[in-house]
Amino acid sequence: MRTRAGLVAAALVAAPVLVGVAYAVLAALGLAGAGATGLTTARVARVLAERATWAGLGWSLWVAGAATLLATAGAALVALAFRGAGALDRAGRLLAALPLPVPHLVAAALGVQLLGQSGLVARAGHALGLVARPDDVPALLYDPLGTGLILTMAWKELPFLSVVAASVLATRGARAEEAARTLGAGRWATLALVTWPLLWRGLMPAVVAVFVFVAGNYEVAALMAPSDPLALPLLTAERAVDPDLSRRGDAYVLALVALGVGALAVAAHEWARARWGATAE
Amino acid sequence: MSAKGRATGPLRLLLLAALALSAVAPFALLAVQSGARGWFFPAFLPPALDLEAWRGVAAGGSALAAAFATSAALATLVALLATALALPAGRALARLEAPARHLGAAAVFLPVAAPPIALGTGLQVVLLAVGLGGTAAGVLAAHLVPATGYLALFFLGVFGAYDERPEEAARTLGATWAQTARLVTLPRLARSLGEALALGFLVSWAQFALTLTVGAGAVRTLPLEVYALVRAGQDREAAVGALLLSVPAMLALAALRWAARRTDALPA
Repeated sequence: MRTRAGLVAAALVAAPVLVGVAYAVLAALGLAGAGATGLTTARVARVLAERATWAGLGWSLWVAGAATLLATAGAALVALAFRGAGALDRAGRLLAALPLPVPHLVAAALGVQLLGQSGLVARAGHALGLVARPDDVPALLYDPLGTGLILTMAWKELPFLSVVAASVLATRGARAEEAARTLGAGRWATLALVTWPLLWRGLMPAVVAVFVFVAGNYEVAALMAPSDPLALPLLTAERAVDPDLSRRGDAYVLALVALGVGALAVAAHEWARARWGATAE
Repeated sequence: MSAKGRATGPLRLLLLAALALSAVAPFALLAVQSGARGWFFPAFLPPALDLEAWRGVAAGGSALAAAFATSAALATLVALLATALALPAGRALARLEAPARHLGAAAVFLPVAAPPIALGTGLQVVLLAVGLGGTAAGVLAAHLVPATGYLALFFLGVFGAYDERPEEAARTLGATWAQTARLVTLPRLARSLGEALALGFLVSWAQFALTLTVGAGAVRTLPLEVYALVRAGQDREAAVGALLLSVPAMLALAALRWAARRTDALPA
């Protein structure tokens, strides 16, 4: 009875996504939506054969991976550097977490103002005599590598990961580290063989969540990403309003690709939680 | 203090300074930009400052003021409804044993993990079919999807460590379900309910892609307004909007941390 109630509750919460997926599948197969012509896999085959699809997906995954890696490294450094109970440690943790509630759109607006070729960083360069004109400044926005976007998202996601990392260190590992030091392990050996494995395992669910969120974020990409390759969220939105009605259904195929990435992340997240989320002290 | 401790002291201070700069400088930039007039490359400091952009918002007639009100109303309703939906769902999930609990947690994580533009593309047609496309009610329904997912996961965590024995004792002593809920359960969950409301508010407050796809541009929330201002290069108004977008979110998080610290749920 309890099992059924719990699973029904979960199904109800997931239902809108499942309904959306079901409609997207029907539209992708030509059975619904604008440009529907009856059951066909031609649209799916065409979209999956397009360079833009894989370029967009690859670019989104590259940006998500790079930003997540940077944010995770920063969060681990902050958590390890400020894990004590003193005033300096509390200040470090607080400052690291302060930007946590900043909406992603605000982070993007800041990124544009700071990193643009006539942005504040460029003006600081001019004041220091390093650049004369905006053209002299390397393009960090709308560039093929997504440099500005990666830096912006790393800044945005670091607070969340640092809060999780601090929590992991505060609630796990103290006894294991104590035991290692008692058995003669040095400071760096304890860090490498005890602290770091506990930290990254405890962080893994949050890292997966950050990765999938960055990969699927629309507004930051809309303000900072290049037009070629076009990030997957932007490509999806572009096809959804395509003047050619027969191509609007492509948006559903792309949405299913994005949801597939999300579903893989959910599976990875749950696997990480099940594997390491309940690790006892 | 050891020599090694003294050596790492300056490094920690440097890291602290970097964190302080990273946390404070962006908001200082937004604050200055919101009042800067004619601030173009290569000027590092603005040539003039005034409050004209803020006066426009305070007067209440601007698009930013209207968008702020729309976002505040939407986020408040989403917070209340999502909390009401997610609390029983999270409690039911917490009563599951593994592996059903992992399956349930994965299911409620789906609305959180689904990319908003993909989620919006799927929801848009459904909401259009029921006549809610391009309406505030449709945007509300769309925001409820990820908010309920987030809060269901939150309440799964709350009820995972929850002791049901006081409720069982009350029922054993003759209290009805409603009496138990009112006199035992709700007071014990008061702090968690506050945290859930703040989280639900934040999820809706910052939503962009869902509002854009489901609202079809007809529902002008603060994120959409700020986006349009940034794209149009209206830096002053965009900075005002960005600050308006950030401040309630930071207040909500501050309230969350204050509540958590009162229960020692967070390290100091």
